[in-house]
Amino acid sequence: MASKYQLVNLQGNHACALGAVAAGCRFFAGYPITPSSEIAERMALELPRIGGVFIQMEDEIASMGAVLGASMGGLKSMTATSGPGFSLKQEHLGYGAGAEIPCVIANVMRGGPSTGMPTRPSQGDIMQSRWGTHGDHATIVLAPASVKEVFDETRRAFALSEKFRVPVIVLYDEVIGHLVETIELPKPEECEQVERKWADSDKKTFKPYAETDDLVPPMARPGDGYRVHTTGLTHAEDGFPTQDPETVVRVTQRILGKLEKHADEIASYEEVDCKDADTVIVAIGISARAANQAIRQARKKGGKVGLFRPITLWPFPEKPFKQAVQKAKTVIVPEMNAGQLALEIERLCQSEQIVERLNRIDGEALEPGEILQKIGEAQ
Amino acid sequence: MEPIEIRFSGSGGQGLQLCAKILSLALNLENLRVAFSQSYEPTSRGGVSRSDLVVDDITPDYPLVTKLDYLVVLDQLSVGISNGLLNKDSVVLADKQLVSEPPKGEFDIHSLPFVEQAIQLGNKRVANIIALGALISIGNIVKFETLVEAVKAGVPPRFLDLNIDAVNTGYRMVTSPGVQLEEIKSS
Amino acid sequence: MNETEDISKNGEDTHLVSEKSARDFNIRDYLRTSLFPHFLCPGCGHGIALRALLWAIYELDIDKNNLVIVSGIGCSGRTGAYIDANTFHTTHGRPLAFATGLALARPDLKVIVITGDGDCLAIGGNHLIHASRRNLDITCMMLNNEVYGMTGGQASPTTSETRYTTTSPSGSIEPVFDACRLAEAAGAGFVGRDVTLQMPRLKNLLRDAIQYRGFSFVEVISDCTEIFGRKNDLGESPEMILSQKSAMRPSSYGNVVDEPFRPNTLKTGILARNDRPEYGATYRAHAETIQAKGK
Repeated sequence: MASKYQLVNLQGNHACALGAVAAGCRFFAGYPITPSSEIAERMALELPRIGGVFIQMEDEIASMGAVLGASMGGLKSMTATSGPGFSLKQEHLGYGAGAEIPCVIANVMRGGPSTGMPTRPSQGDIMQSRWGTHGDHATIVLAPASVKEVFDETRRAFALSEKFRVPVIVLYDEVIGHLVETIELPKPEECEQVERKWADSDKKTFKPYAETDDLVPPMARPGDGYRVHTTGLTHAEDGFPTQDPETVVRVTQRILGKLEKHADEIASYEEVDCKDADTVIVAIGISARAANQAIRQARKKGGKVGLFRPITLWPFPEKPFKQAVQKAKTVIVPEMNAGQLALEIERLCQSEQIVERLNRIDGEALEPGEILQKIGEAQ
Repeated sequence: MEPIEIRFSGSGGQGLQLCAKILSLALNLENLRVAFSQSYEPTSRGGVSRSDLVVDDITPDYPLVTKLDYLVVLDQLSVGISNGLLNKDSVVLADKQLVSEPPKGEFDIHSLPFVEQAIQLGNKRVANIIALGALISIGNIVKFETLVEAVKAGVPPRFLDLNIDAVNTGYRMVTSPGVQLEEIKSS
Repeated sequence: MNETEDISKNGEDTHLVSEKSARDFNIRDYLRTSLFPHFLCPGCGHGIALRALLWAIYELDIDKNNLVIVSGIGCSGRTGAYIDANTFHTTHGRPLAFATGLALARPDLKVIVITGDGDCLAIGGNHLIHASRRNLDITCMMLNNEVYGMTGGQASPTTSETRYTTTSPSGSIEPVFDACRLAEAAGAGFVGRDVTLQMPRLKNLLRDAIQYRGFSFVEVISDCTEIFGRKNDLGESPEMILSQKSAMRPSSYGNVVDEPFRPNTLKTGILARNDRPEYGATYRAHAETIQAKGK
């Protein structure tokens, strides 16, 4: 092939691993869990070859702890898991959010709750990915819908995580995780890598959590001479714990505000045929793929139907969404859970707009036919 | 192009995944793209198994099968899973020996001795490749030469001759109009 | 025990041969005095352990810039913040998990974990087992004061039977953990224990532990005078420390004291030291082999 890309048949989970490597990830800690294990397996193969570290830890909690430790040491780090493991990682995700430690977590969704249906697809972690850990916190969730997009969004996850010092979750269902698709794979050396902002100011006066213009303070790397304190306790600008109400409000608002400030840069979405649509479908992952086919078929029959697909799921791209559904009378939310994304859509829609839910909780993927039927009912 | 949907079904261990992999390679060689999915369960032997391909010249909208253009069935066990996915345009290839009651419908059905021929070739496990040869002969999905090239790339070298024999056997098993029968050697 | 050392080898004698004079050791060089007054209660043994640790670091001439103190949650975890180094105050029970990631990512750094009996043996027990098994170059100092002090005095896995705590109001009936035996059985390359009575001796033990290339585990028998001591009428700090000392047996004492679930027969000194391969070096050598094959 003359193209600078190589055309390969790649599995979604392998695309996640290769995307991470291309983004500069050099540390992976994980624990075996269906249906995400292929990510760890691929990392175990790739990382030692390029001077990176792979370690299988004793449990899910330890994996996330090791990822944070390695990231605090300066390496781009990630872990991968699924429902039960994602639940176990939540405390450390909160640590990453609070202490502002860059890290990437891939969560391949399976049926839940609890052990649920380990081999069956689901989209039941949509809310957990946003609110899984306790307390107010900033987090970014990316929701790829194809193998190529898993590769691209995993790269973007590292870029956003390093740039904004925030945990980024790459969230996709088991179908996308195990799907093999023919994609054009860029060579790693052609992939742009985003580096963390490291502290380089005066060591004596350096404050690790001082407010900066972009609201993202530079990080002090151990060994560079800053000798700072990092804690999961609520901390002041100097990094040390505080419970002074005024300080607590100030530092918490900065952390929450940094994503708001960069909302446009973080937001990513796909809009198909929304301009004149009286019916707009909102979906992620395999449900969005089904919706894509459904709207194409509906358009052939003359229906004015569009698709809004949040690629950045959280923070939800509110402005573009509101724009996309401006003319819509009905918004349909097909998802493989009992109704989670619909809650956000109901919040964002106008009172005269009808939000229709389409849920599948049987461990099977949503199909274009079901969505097409729902479109028919709506119109 | 309109996407083509192909399913290989049978029981675990029959090499359905290899079939799909080799066919994917062949499709890639002809600049076509695939979305490949398979049954995913903790067990790898026995039990119903399937490997599905959706073929298109771009990444298909929906990567899972919804209406099969081609179905290859290698075990009675797996007949039921394709209920509702077949229509009058579907083409079904079923093993004569292992599928006693093939799917019933208005579609074309070819009951062919894949396993029997494989045993004659000396290895029951190449029934899958024989079926693949037959599928290409009936279906015109890729050129036979391309399939052979993909077989060469997709099977372990020490089994290459056997697999080339198998794909030839399958291809010659059925004749469809306009297809030139031509033996292609592994060398 | 692969190698047991006579108490004299690990006792007061050895610190005298140190090249660095004890008189030149100024603990304030290693503390963030801006955070004073510190939060430890009067009589708390953690301060003594901290001094011994910093003294060992001083003697080993470890650059503070390359020193990372990783601590968990509890009174033990909070002591890390007072050290003038890179200090990572992590989550409850998980400092060893963080330290594992850090030590693998940055083999150039000296990683020391400060943890407690609840942190290390209850919520974090699994990590101790696997850190011991891997034998990655980390020193783990576990401050055992038999109680959850930070949360108000609940029973821990090392609370002696019959002792009163807020969650054992009629006296504890659970058997206790022998952390050193656990660490050794799981493969820790270096295992030691001491009380806080003789700080130079404790310092020497910690120094040996830090120097060991692999996972070194040191249990320091600390005292919680304010909560645990008062509740059990154990007297003030000096009385508590003296009774701890008399309950211990030196590692050379012999098999008579080989009773894992009897706290008053715990051994002190270096309890295990062997030449297991350090995991970080093993990983890097393995990776280099893979890279060489790939070329």
